[in-house]
Amino acid sequence: MQHVVVDPVTRIEGHLRAEITVDETNGTVTDAISSGTAWRGLELVMQGRDPRDAWAYIQRICGVCTTAHALASVRAVEDALGISIPLNANYIRNIMAATLTVQDHLIHFYHLHALDWVSPVEALSADPVKTAELQVAVLNAYRLNLKVPEEVNTEAYPHDFPAATPQYFEGIKAKVQAIVASGQLGIFAAQWWDHPDYKLLPPEVHLMAVAHYLEMLDKQREIITPHVVFGGKNPHPHYAVGGVPCSISMTDGNAPVNTARLAIVDRAINMARDLVNNYYLPDLVAIGAIYAKAGRVDGGGLSKTRVLAFGDYPLTGYKGTSNGGGYFDNLLVRSNGVVENFGNGVANATFTPVTADDLKAPENFTEGVEHSWYEYPDNAAKDLHPWEGVTKDKYTGPKTGTATMWETLNEAGKYSWLKTPKWKGKLCEVGPLAHYIIIYTKAAKGLLPDPTWAEQLMLKQIEAVTGVVGVPPEAWMPSMLGRTACRCLDAQLAAEVNKFFFDKLIANIKMGDTATMNNEKWLPETWATECMGVGLYEAPRGGLSHWVCIKDGKISNYQCIVPTTWNACPRDDQAGHGAYELAMMTTHVAIPDKPLEIAKVIRSFDPCLACATHIYNAKGEEINIISTDPYGR
Amino acid sequence: MEKRESLWEAYLRRGFSRRSFLKGCVALTSLMGFSTDMFSKVVEAAETKPLPVVIWIHGHECTGCDESFIRSGAPLASDVVLSSIALEYDHLLSAACGAPFEAHLDETIAKYNGQYILCVEGAVATKDSGVYCMSGGHTFTHLLEKAAKGAAAIIAYGSCAAYGGIQAAKPNPTGSAGIERFVGGKPVVKVPGCPPIPEVMTGVVMHVALFGTLPPLDGDGRPKQFYGNRIHDTCYRRPFFDAGMFAEQFDDAGAKAGWCLYKLGCRGPETYNSCGNLRWWQGMSYPIQSGAPCIGCSNSNFWDEDPFTDRLPKYGKLGDVDKIGAALGVLTAAGVAGHGIASIIQRNSRENLIDEEHHE
Repeated sequence: MQHVVVDPVTRIEGHLRAEITVDETNGTVTDAISSGTAWRGLELVMQGRDPRDAWAYIQRICGVCTTAHALASVRAVEDALGISIPLNANYIRNIMAATLTVQDHLIHFYHLHALDWVSPVEALSADPVKTAELQVAVLNAYRLNLKVPEEVNTEAYPHDFPAATPQYFEGIKAKVQAIVASGQLGIFAAQWWDHPDYKLLPPEVHLMAVAHYLEMLDKQREIITPHVVFGGKNPHPHYAVGGVPCSISMTDGNAPVNTARLAIVDRAINMARDLVNNYYLPDLVAIGAIYAKAGRVDGGGLSKTRVLAFGDYPLTGYKGTSNGGGYFDNLLVRSNGVVENFGNGVANATFTPVTADDLKAPENFTEGVEHSWYEYPDNAAKDLHPWEGVTKDKYTGPKTGTATMWETLNEAGKYSWLKTPKWKGKLCEVGPLAHYIIIYTKAAKGLLPDPTWAEQLMLKQIEAVTGVVGVPPEAWMPSMLGRTACRCLDAQLAAEVNKFFFDKLIANIKMGDTATMNNEKWLPETWATECMGVGLYEAPRGGLSHWVCIKDGKISNYQCIVPTTWNACPRDDQAGHGAYELAMMTTHVAIPDKPLEIAKVIRSFDPCLACATHIYNAKGEEINIISTDPYGR
Repeated sequence: MEKRESLWEAYLRRGFSRRSFLKGCVALTSLMGFSTDMFSKVVEAAETKPLPVVIWIHGHECTGCDESFIRSGAPLASDVVLSSIALEYDHLLSAACGAPFEAHLDETIAKYNGQYILCVEGAVATKDSGVYCMSGGHTFTHLLEKAAKGAAAIIAYGSCAAYGGIQAAKPNPTGSAGIERFVGGKPVVKVPGCPPIPEVMTGVVMHVALFGTLPPLDGDGRPKQFYGNRIHDTCYRRPFFDAGMFAEQFDDAGAKAGWCLYKLGCRGPETYNSCGNLRWWQGMSYPIQSGAPCIGCSNSNFWDEDPFTDRLPKYGKLGDVDKIGAALGVLTAAGVAGHGIASIIQRNSRENLIDEEHHE
């Protein structure tokens, strides 16, 4: 047995450490630790703040999935206060959310994940002529041409299309050659480039992917412009409780939103569709098909047993999530629920919905701290509902090493700053894969009456990929590859969702409705003395929930249960391992000293650790915190 | 900044022979996994001046600054990362991870001692010996101190590295603070903002690449060209402030017409940043243009100057702007007088700022 540490895990957001025990005779991982190694305490910072400011603070949990926490936050506060937002605000928020999803997935695939599959060193032996031919072949075979409804297509022709000329690839290759020859490998330094996995793909695939890595690095900025128009900037665009701050006027040149501004959004939406359909999807399918045909469908882990999603994109205005509002009755993608045992085939899988009442029932959603650096008081239950949470940090250091210099972490004790979230006492995997498994299972079981166009698109996507990889969905979906593939399908879906809500926004403005804000409950004197709310969002990394308690006009408790907390959480002695740990334990490791597969399977989740590490208010419990910052200004 | 030298120049300085230089290149060729036909290219590279080496480390942060950096329109991120600098260590973009990545950091620090640029994103968690922010099995404090020692220049990217950031908001559970006290007294270029504007971030690096020097800094260590103006003074809605025309609430007639957001809590009058002149996405927008009051995210304590909906006089040094607003009500037509008052406000504010700096 060999104990291997990967710390830091890079090309992710935040600070993550992995430790595995590998049987070097057969490459089996017998135990795995996933540890979030930093804690910022942002939810404590929320105490006593104005709920109308919550989005500005909590959005800053994460700059990679920026907007995700702001959206969940305003939804939570509006649920608590009983505010329904205007149609335009709902459409604009949906466009911002879907824009984030496309852009975040695109960056994840090309800039955070691609270098696990492709190598600039391998690209050096590519023939530029053959690469151009490959590009043509990939576009012919793998542009999954799935039609969706649209009011009007404003794009005359696909402006963003991959170059397929030998000269283009020659130029890219020359640049890679120059970097390698300079000895300053920069971002390409010190990777395990000699790992046998990089030999699975022909050199031309490597060169094509490296070219697209560079192109997407420059283009990703152009598809996020809806955030800049509607929210003023990115990362961290601005929001408002009760709607959106960007007023619409067709008579004022100074207005935040008018025709010229909407044209910028329109262009970004067209471009995002082009980039996904012409680059991301064909590249993903080209790489995925080779891996699937080589039998590389491991790393499924918990996704075979249990996946959770909340669903998203409210179609019209709604009033809340947990307080009798119609959030769940009004979704474009109704993936709210849990699918169990998908790994045994869809016929043996079961589906359990998640409803508004479920959110409030204390046994349904809880967090435990058995292996987390926190403690509950002696008289508290083992797991606590977010609204009733009791938390206190309790750092215990590593198994070997010192408090500030670790050797190995203690799998038998506490080892992470992440808590362990549970649904009915059980651990779940979340993310685009969960989203797709749930829709597929619901449809197969006749639980998806009158599927929306978006749900139909999802089913068509699964069918198309299944045709290419040649194995049934239950085989390819719950795997490392399936996780990465479903993220790409989710990007394609989000690109179309963007167009759908943009068309709705235009139609609504055309009807004469320019309202973007509901100010009825803006002032604290209009609020109940005490209220609670939940805000949900099917974020790029999976189901996100914010839980807020408001008392006397101020936040009295704020809690986030974040996708990466679901996935990267430490084990629970009763419920077992979380998704990262199980994924690592179901992944074959060829060379224990160069655990590329471990880094790859972790990155297939698109980790976001700053989001995941947090604690919430000790309700009725004293928290030992310093009141002044000794280094403060 | 000290002039960087090529590997050959380094050999010359140390009195090594051409033969030992070539031997070094042979070792380098095989170390990088190249076949021998690449040898001449390695020699050529070792003789020419290398790119400025950048080490980018992460403390308590959200990676929003990395993300902003790669959103730069001019220069483009790919041009910066592949042709202007050698980004040898960065948790977001670097291919490598784990032990070989940490070893590469140590090698880079040793090889380019006194020559590399250290970019820091995120605050230092100071409480309990720094255990709230661990990376590679060590505290971030340890990493920062190690990397700062050999740095030619240190750039604090974002309000977290500059001042502590959002995690330093009360009650500051992890004792988070800016990096300045942990870099052995070296000067720190502060590029605040949550995050800073993309082109401001790359602009600082471009200045170093184009001119070979750090950009001129103000008393707080901020590049003057990007932080020399208050948003209020460069805001396209400034004429409405001067004329006393304000949005009273979100989405009212004033908000639709793009009037001043001061009464909704805008921090523009106390915030030094390039949002008004450079704007985001090369002139496309900034929060105020999108109808959202500035929250002052490049200010050293913006996170505790809340509620953000409160009007500025509670925190700023403008004096009672409501009274000025009332006066302006009378003088609405007299733009010149209004401008005069605004100028007085601005002068007072600058004097206060100078006082603060003097006090520090």
